[in-house]
Amino acid sequence: MRERILIACLVAGLGLALPVRGQKQTPPEGGTPKDFTLPEKSVFELDNGLSATLVPYGQLPKVAISVIVRTGNIDESANQVWLADVMGDLLKEGTKLRELSITKASPESVTLELFRKLLYPGHPYGRLFPTEEMLKGYTIKDVRDFYARNFGAGRTRVYVCGRFEKPAVEQAILKSFEGWAKGPEPARKIPSPMAKRRVEIIDRPGSEQSTVYLGLPVVAPGHRDYIPLVVANSLLGGSFGSRITSNIREQKGYTYSPYSSVSSRYRDAYWTQFASVSTNVTGPALKEIIFEIDRLQAEAPSEEELRGIQNYLAGTFVLQNSSRSGIISQLAFLDLHGLPDDYLTGYVKAIHSVKPEDVRRIAKTYLRDQEMTLVITGDKSKIAEQVGEFEKAWEKGSD
Amino acid sequence: MTIRRLLGVTVATLWLLSAQGRAAEFSIPVEYHKLSNGLKVVLSEDHTAPTVVVAVYYNIGFRIEPRNRTGFAHLFEHMMFQGSENLGKMEFIRLVQENGGVLNGSTRFDFTNYFEILPSHKLETALWAEADRMKGLAITQENLTNQQEVVKNEVKVNVLNEPYGGFPWLDMPQIANTNWYNAHNFYGDLEDLDAATLDDVKSLFRTYYAPNNAALVVVGDFESDEALGLIRKYFEGIPSAEKPPAPDINEPRQTKEKKSVKEDRLATRPALAFAYHMPPRNTPEYYAMGLFDQVLLQGDDSRLNQVLVKTKGYTGSVDGGINLLGNMFNYNGPMLWTAYLFHDKNVKPDQIIAAVDQVLNDLRSKPISQAEFERALVKLRSNLYDSMSEFFGFGRADLLASLALFDDNPARINTLEQEFRKLTPELLQKTAEEYLRPTNRTILIVEPKGSSGKESL
Repeated sequence: MRERILIACLVAGLGLALPVRGQKQTPPEGGTPKDFTLPEKSVFELDNGLSATLVPYGQLPKVAISVIVRTGNIDESANQVWLADVMGDLLKEGTKLRELSITKASPESVTLELFRKLLYPGHPYGRLFPTEEMLKGYTIKDVRDFYARNFGAGRTRVYVCGRFEKPAVEQAILKSFEGWAKGPEPARKIPSPMAKRRVEIIDRPGSEQSTVYLGLPVVAPGHRDYIPLVVANSLLGGSFGSRITSNIREQKGYTYSPYSSVSSRYRDAYWTQFASVSTNVTGPALKEIIFEIDRLQAEAPSEEELRGIQNYLAGTFVLQNSSRSGIISQLAFLDLHGLPDDYLTGYVKAIHSVKPEDVRRIAKTYLRDQEMTLVITGDKSKIAEQVGEFEKAWEKGSD
Repeated sequence: MTIRRLLGVTVATLWLLSAQGRAAEFSIPVEYHKLSNGLKVVLSEDHTAPTVVVAVYYNIGFRIEPRNRTGFAHLFEHMMFQGSENLGKMEFIRLVQENGGVLNGSTRFDFTNYFEILPSHKLETALWAEADRMKGLAITQENLTNQQEVVKNEVKVNVLNEPYGGFPWLDMPQIANTNWYNAHNFYGDLEDLDAATLDDVKSLFRTYYAPNNAALVVVGDFESDEALGLIRKYFEGIPSAEKPPAPDINEPRQTKEKKSVKEDRLATRPALAFAYHMPPRNTPEYYAMGLFDQVLLQGDDSRLNQVLVKTKGYTGSVDGGINLLGNMFNYNGPMLWTAYLFHDKNVKPDQIIAAVDQVLNDLRSKPISQAEFERALVKLRSNLYDSMSEFFGFGRADLLASLALFDDNPARINTLEQEFRKLTPELLQKTAEEYLRPTNRTILIVEPKGSSGKESL
């Protein structure tokens, strides 16, 4: 039942009749699309293997500079968690213990920590936080050794994007970096993540909400199904108008900012649905999430719904390539995953070539809820029963 | 407090000014019109990318929401997505998305805004949609109830269920200010959010959502003449409304230091914030405080960061600024300059405040050197450019809308930097004496009561 407020008097003021329901105006289409071309880049390499990418862009007299070294937590051993961070933050020594304590007090952090641990047993991707003891034990020698093993010009890329004078920037890069040793090759620790149904509750007495991560490993960038997966994700839970958000936020009011995403690393990716839901509706919210996944597996979306998502992704692709930092992160993505330049030039076409049946197939092939890991942080005394009931229905549903 | 974990790569991003000599020549194109119904229209072309920002700012912030309805200005913002004459629930959102755009809205001290960023050929679509909801809403009780639940979940996820939730952005105005308009819980008490009715929705819309109480800004890849034609077509027929009387939002001069302690059952480490009342907006003293913000607080080179982080080692960083929910330009009323930090239990609040006093006494007793003044100006200009290019041009729209709505002069965007250049050592001195007085200060201490807070340190 729609109740009209205000419309009557405002419309009367315009001297128009009250519009009859069902005769709504159609939004104007707008003009013709303008060409979008990716900004031109120039790439050069120093003798020591360091590569630099320069992209002139924009009107504002600013530049963004990124120096990306191919290392990170991936190069830590099991007893070195956050050593990469300690090294990176050397000047802020002594803050890491406090940072750890504060970070781990948030429900999102501890939920993701367990989710990662279950997905990546024995791999650095599964170790999000160190213990206090581990952090306290790091010495300056550990930091130096980590640097020696994992830093060097050969695994470093410099990106400059904005308004700058090219010869001067080229000279500055040469002068600053040419003396740097090539350093060791990056290690390739490709994980074998676990796809297995599990439900874990982290008890947080008095919690106002339940924080949920649900997901499983999927194909990585470069795989032919990766772009169709990105499309399926946006339609399912990855945008404001998506099915899961429409359901648990706009219809049910269970939560404020649910989202699903495909999170990728080198030769690795996982899909997750995240939500912070009110404690009393934890079970019902989970049920609706699974319902939407199952629905997409069973039935292809309409052409119209899919086209809306494809236009959204094509439009946001233009936005992603229309800021200094956005351009750098797109180029760094290509470089990390070893993707050719035509990945970007062909991206919009690839998005539009996905068919409704592809979306259903992708959901069926990759979003297998019978193999998903579910981690919930909340008040166990109030959610254990709801989650138990949900689990029973979930098992039954996937028989 | 989120910590970015970059697995596989470590990224360091630096923002630098390029070609400083050219910076002064740079200016933002601004075209300003007022429609016959009072709607302020600002057009600013930028053909860098084929995108366009459409932003509508209404001159109603949470500061002046109804007294028995805390959080209602923000709850109302959600209602603007729930249906209008030609767009039902979810249809506004889908319209923008299926045309390749993103959208959002936000509620701040002195405005509520709605914006879309789309491919530029969809400008007309966005203007039509914004005009449609400026004409009137079509909200059901079911939609209101749904959004009451959504907003309560928003308050939970951002405040009630989080360690340091509301610190200090929501807490500090409530303890530093005395006038209800500046000192109430603007996210809303849950009971007040529950109490809102359709009549409240109707009344707020009628009172504040009229074209003569709004500014429409378009930034991006379009032709101004064409855009103005479309704006007239869709907006000019919307009738204006009588403006409500402005309430007295003045804040009395503070003459005694205030201190408040908050027990946080989720926090594991203590935290401390301090805030000073700002001089009135657009006065020379206001610009002086903008400069002090750079000297004292912004960046690793700032005095408070140097002393509290580098010298004393009390914390990893000191953060804050003028208007924690925006910047020094997008508000219109009493405001605070706030700084905050997280520390360990072995460091006492008194030690921190003693160190802060030393920094501020130094500023009051000795003039800033020319070199430090110049460095602050560079940081100011750099920040200004950043905020202008923020979020695909939305930042520029935000600044233009604020200057149109509050000053009736969006072209000020190109003269803001000069206001800082005019500052004299005498004026800086005078401002420091009056506004950085300890008696103009409020201190907020967070005592951690979370379980892992019992551990060492």
